[in-house]
Amino acid sequence: MKIIVLRLMLSGAVALAAACSTTRSPKVVADSKPEAAESGATKAAPEAQAGTDELDDYAEPSVSDPLESFNRVMFKTNDCLYLVIFRPISKGYELAFPKPVRKGIDNAFENVKYPVRFVNCALQGKFKRAGQETGKFLVNTLGGVGGIFRVSDKVPDLANIPAEDLGQTLAKWGVGHGPFIVLPLFGPSSARETVGLAGDYALNPVNWGLFFRGGGGDLAKDWTMIPPSANTLRSLPEQLEIYDAATKDAVDPYISARSAFIQNRAEATRK
Amino acid sequence: MISRILLATLITCSFAARLAASPEEAQKRLKTAVNEVLAVADRVANRANMAESLRPTLQKHISFETMTRRAVGLGWKTFTPAQQKQAIQLFSTLIIRSYSSKFTPGEYPVINYQKAQTPATGRVDVPTSMVYKGSRYSVTYRMEQESGWRIADVVIEGVSLVANYRSQLDAQYKKGGAEAVLGSLAQSVSRPQ
Repeated sequence: MKIIVLRLMLSGAVALAAACSTTRSPKVVADSKPEAAESGATKAAPEAQAGTDELDDYAEPSVSDPLESFNRVMFKTNDCLYLVIFRPISKGYELAFPKPVRKGIDNAFENVKYPVRFVNCALQGKFKRAGQETGKFLVNTLGGVGGIFRVSDKVPDLANIPAEDLGQTLAKWGVGHGPFIVLPLFGPSSARETVGLAGDYALNPVNWGLFFRGGGGDLAKDWTMIPPSANTLRSLPEQLEIYDAATKDAVDPYISARSAFIQNRAEATRK
Repeated sequence: MISRILLATLITCSFAARLAASPEEAQKRLKTAVNEVLAVADRVANRANMAESLRPTLQKHISFETMTRRAVGLGWKTFTPAQQKQAIQLFSTLIIRSYSSKFTPGEYPVINYQKAQTPATGRVDVPTSMVYKGSRYSVTYRMEQESGWRIADVVIEGVSLVANYRSQLDAQYKKGGAEAVLGSLAQSVSRPQ
């Protein structure tokens, strides 16, 4: 769930998906679902000529969205769920914990996620960055009281390391997005990013209890739910803020979230 | 003697023109714009008045005409002058409202300006690293020279504001041309906050 919100933030929701070439092509929009064939096509648009015109500077990168009808329904459903369930929970969390406390909790959970970043740095051959991640983890764990304080920000070499994840690793390996898909609760994603999401989930120590909950009574099993649930809860305010940023003043919130997701993931892969 | 004066004038003008077109000048202009916006935002007591208070400053430093044109894309040429004017007015209102809502009184961003880049003649990208309300963001300002340097796009964590609206307005244009674009913008502007 936590991951959901994270991805949503920059995309406006969360994701997995499609052959998204970042090549700017004026054909892209025509390739994605023919909206004009759907309801609301009051009048055919005059033919716009593609070319090298500066007006074409921002032609949308190719997005494969064969599931658009399903995705739009899921997008609406998620929006309702955020409104009815997650926003009240998020507000309650913000009321219960002052901002400095929430910041410390965020820092600690992000620090624990070190294996996700380290493994994906290594898988991408970014060994220097993997070393920096290790240094950051040690500095914050030892000097920042288990990661509650991000003291690594005071070390220039460790202050601003782009976080690697499995979606980026797959992209580096040449795997395309695949179809864009809106996941239940998690939001915007693509086939590739969904696989990445699952891999990152398994690499995140806060979820490990769920994989090793063999023996013991029910009480012991219940305890394994606490870290992942807390992780989801603490990430809600930021994720909803990101979702709002992508959708609040949008002309078409679904397309806005999709565009933001694709652009953001392309940038994350470039870093 | 006269020819020397003329030569000196020409050299001075040429130097001044080059300076005005330099990335440093664009960056300087951006810093001025950001400082002016923050100063105005800081004086606004009531958050509900933020958008209207910031509007004159933002209109001075942001080229909404360029933004709107690019956000609409190739279809822009089929808009009548009146439709273009209306689109610019609606789009700027939407952007100003969206931008203004990000400000929280009493919170100040710490901005680290990085080396400006020149992707094309008359265009300068100024990457920045911004820490705001405890979170770090990568923000690139795209500046263009048109009667002085003005902001033509803002890219936050890789997400271009103009490209994002372009993807939305393109779909509207394909549905119903200029009227559909204007209708969708008007609907977004009228949506309660």
